[in-house]
Amino acid sequence: MLKTKIEKLALRSNKPSRYIGGEVGSVVKDKSKIDVRFAFCFPDTYEVGMSHLGMKILYGLKNQRENFWCERVFAPDKDFEKLMRENDIPLYALESLDPIKEFDFIGFTMQYELSYTNVLNMLDLAGLNVRASERSETDPIVVAGGPCVCNPEPLAEFFDLFILGEGEEVNLELMDLYAEMKKLGKSKSEFLAEASEIEGIYVPKFYDVAYNPDGTVKSVIPHSGAPMPIKKRIIKDFDKVYYPDSFVVPFTDIVHDRAVVEVLRGCIRGCRFCQAGYIYRPFREKSVDTIARQTKALCEQTGYEEVSLSSLSTSDHPEIEELLSKLVDYTESEKVSLSLPSLRVDNFSEEILEKINRVRKSGLTFAAEAGTQRLRDVINKNISEEEILSTCKLAFIGGYSTVKLYFMMGHPTETDEDILGIVALVRKISDLFYEINRGTKGKFLSISVSVATFVPKPFTPFEFEPQITSETVKHRHDLLTQSFKSKHIKLSYHDYRVSLLEAVLARGDRRTSEAIYKAWKKGCTFDGWTEHFNFDNWVEAFKECGLDMEFYACRKREYDEVMPWDHLDYYISKRFLISENKKAHEAITTPNCAQKCSGCGVKKECGGTYCGKGLL
Amino acid sequence: MVKDYYDIRAVFKKTGRAIYISHLDLMRVMQRTFKRAKLPVWFTKGYNPHVYLMFSLPLSLGVSSDCELMDFGVDMSAGEPDYEDIKVRLNKALPEGLEIVTLYEPKTKHTEIGACEYTLEFYGDRSADDVLSLFNSFMAQDEILIEKRCKVNMKKTVVTIDIKPDINVLESRDSDGHAYISLRLPAGIKHSLNIVSVSTAFETFCGFEFDKICINRTKILTESGDIFS
Ligand code: SF4
Repeated sequence: MLKTKIEKLALRSNKPSRYIGGEVGSVVKDKSKIDVRFAFCFPDTYEVGMSHLGMKILYGLKNQRENFWCERVFAPDKDFEKLMRENDIPLYALESLDPIKEFDFIGFTMQYELSYTNVLNMLDLAGLNVRASERSETDPIVVAGGPCVCNPEPLAEFFDLFILGEGEEVNLELMDLYAEMKKLGKSKSEFLAEASEIEGIYVPKFYDVAYNPDGTVKSVIPHSGAPMPIKKRIIKDFDKVYYPDSFVVPFTDIVHDRAVVEVLRGCIRGCRFCQAGYIYRPFREKSVDTIARQTKALCEQTGYEEVSLSSLSTSDHPEIEELLSKLVDYTESEKVSLSLPSLRVDNFSEEILEKINRVRKSGLTFAAEAGTQRLRDVINKNISEEEILSTCKLAFIGGYSTVKLYFMMGHPTETDEDILGIVALVRKISDLFYEINRGTKGKFLSISVSVATFVPKPFTPFEFEPQITSETVKHRHDLLTQSFKSKHIKLSYHDYRVSLLEAVLARGDRRTSEAIYKAWKKGCTFDGWTEHFNFDNWVEAFKECGLDMEFYACRKREYDEVMPWDHLDYYISKRFLISENKKAHEAITTPNCAQKCSGCGVKKECGGTYCGKGLL
Repeated sequence: MVKDYYDIRAVFKKTGRAIYISHLDLMRVMQRTFKRAKLPVWFTKGYNPHVYLMFSLPLSLGVSSDCELMDFGVDMSAGEPDYEDIKVRLNKALPEGLEIVTLYEPKTKHTEIGACEYTLEFYGDRSADDVLSLFNSFMAQDEILIEKRCKVNMKKTVVTIDIKPDINVLESRDSDGHAYISLRLPAGIKHSLNIVSVSTAFETFCGFEFDKICINRTKILTESGDIFS
């Protein structure tokens, strides 16, 4: 029996509680009473996947329905995968320990480009063909959602359908349709045809892609009556949307082991490099009461000793002071710690600051993203040197002696001067510290500077931009390294090759599917893990497919080029992206949504707090 | 400081899927259980207050138990503890496989633990008789040597020790077609032997792997052989 085999082998793996289920909050149902079984797969380890909020929301949402059963599936670590393969254990779901091959749906959430090979590996472990066209009518429907599917083309070969945008409504619609058609004895292809009519569902096989001689996309043409364009889904009444009142509480330590409450969705800021800032538009918040109620419910059900707030920018909640005040009171009385990510505290009152400081333990962190004000204007990152310095000043006076700074390298229009701007900023922070601590011997400021490589992403004003080349990266890294000599400054870079691959996959077309397949065949999995990343395999895989990585990553696109994702409608208009791109090149900023709506294309009816405001 | 809590000792079972919970993780599981159960449990004082909990003996991963022990406190301000109520509330909040059997005021100190009893059941292709006779020959060896990792003079080393004198066989028989053995091993701070070391040594001696060995801790005893309470 499968269960006995799993139990025995789990004991030989590292941290077996990840492979056996049984956690508080996990949902076990009687499968004879279920119409639709959904295997929710996270293409990374248990520790990473269990920390992911979207999975918790959709797990609770589906399981609320009596006739649906949603179970969790994670990528086994390499040691356990080996044991599974040696002992013929197919990939199974943690609640029932049944093989996921028996399920109606296998759904992946795609959070990161470097988890693509894990999808193939998991399908293979499940005993399925990785290509949709090679799976049979009786195999499960394999679907994907999440931010990466805003350009699903590199994954098109492997999935039956994609779920675009927010999942709370469309997932249920899809499963209802399936339940109905299953009862009527309809086939998978009939189901896919029907499903493609649901707003937010993209069935790639109903679209033909043609290419120009230069390798760019010529056209994407629907057939079989499939819709064009395919719209993403947006939750209009965000305050009322489903939110779980229970989480699965893991036994083993995971990356984010705490209760999480989503306070707002979307972002008003419009940083031009940030994909999340565009694809999750519009900005919508939950009311203070809703957030407080959900916090209480989750803390009580999970027993967690810590709760955190989730959003792209919590400080932008219109009633942030009231919210924090209420939450600090509740958590203090319950001996729960409230973890607050870096907040912009510029406009807070004394009273609330005092309250927050009672619970805040996190250090001083700035995502400055660029070294000069000019470049910060280019990327529309609304943080000024004065702000950084004045926040640092307060903190240094309060005794802080560590600062973390995050930068990106390779923004459009960047020059060596902007890189030296990083050095200048760090110097100013450091001077400020020693000025404040003058006369105090033995007190040092430790600064950590982390530099990533910018990856241009679809649906951002920089989707047209080339990624910086490896030569330039090397030159600018050297420039920085030579400028920082103090042992109190810790400089770290992301691996450029990882960013390059991310850039290729983010803006890839359907032909890159084959390269992903070949890379996986060569043994690539867990590409996002430094210890498993094998760049040479990827280079070979692309070469064998006759594809050029630089074509995807480092090529400038004209405004009229057909992008591989142009048939998907994420509500952000091309006109807006082009105008933002032009403004970037002139270093002109755009006000945030709360200051003035810029008419990005999101419709007023979508429920955005600020959409249409200030527009004539 | 004046003591402001009542000491409570819980005896609990750890079976089924709960046997995969490591000793380290068990601490977290119990702390969250107390929170879910909304008990007036006593928190350590200080900057980072947490539920006060103490476990007596670690249990190896994969081993089940009928008699695990855990000490905790309940606030005196909440009045005399109602053991039955606490038990019901904890059992409601515990994950599958963990179950409170009984609660009482501790009588003995943890340092007085002297031994544990275990049962082992062997499943596989071999008949019960085969396994039992293999076990007899295993025990008939002059010595049973295993390698044990330990620290000598602050350095990590591996030493070879003879565990035979520590294995006290209480019973061995055929139970529904598979071999059933019960043992007593030393436990506690002075001297102890892990049951998994014994089962692994036996498997090595056999030269084959069993499909499954179910190991269960059945009793925790004091040095004088009484049930630890
Ligand atoms: S429509 Fe206006 S307010 Fe709404 S997201 Fe777009 S720019 Fe922001």
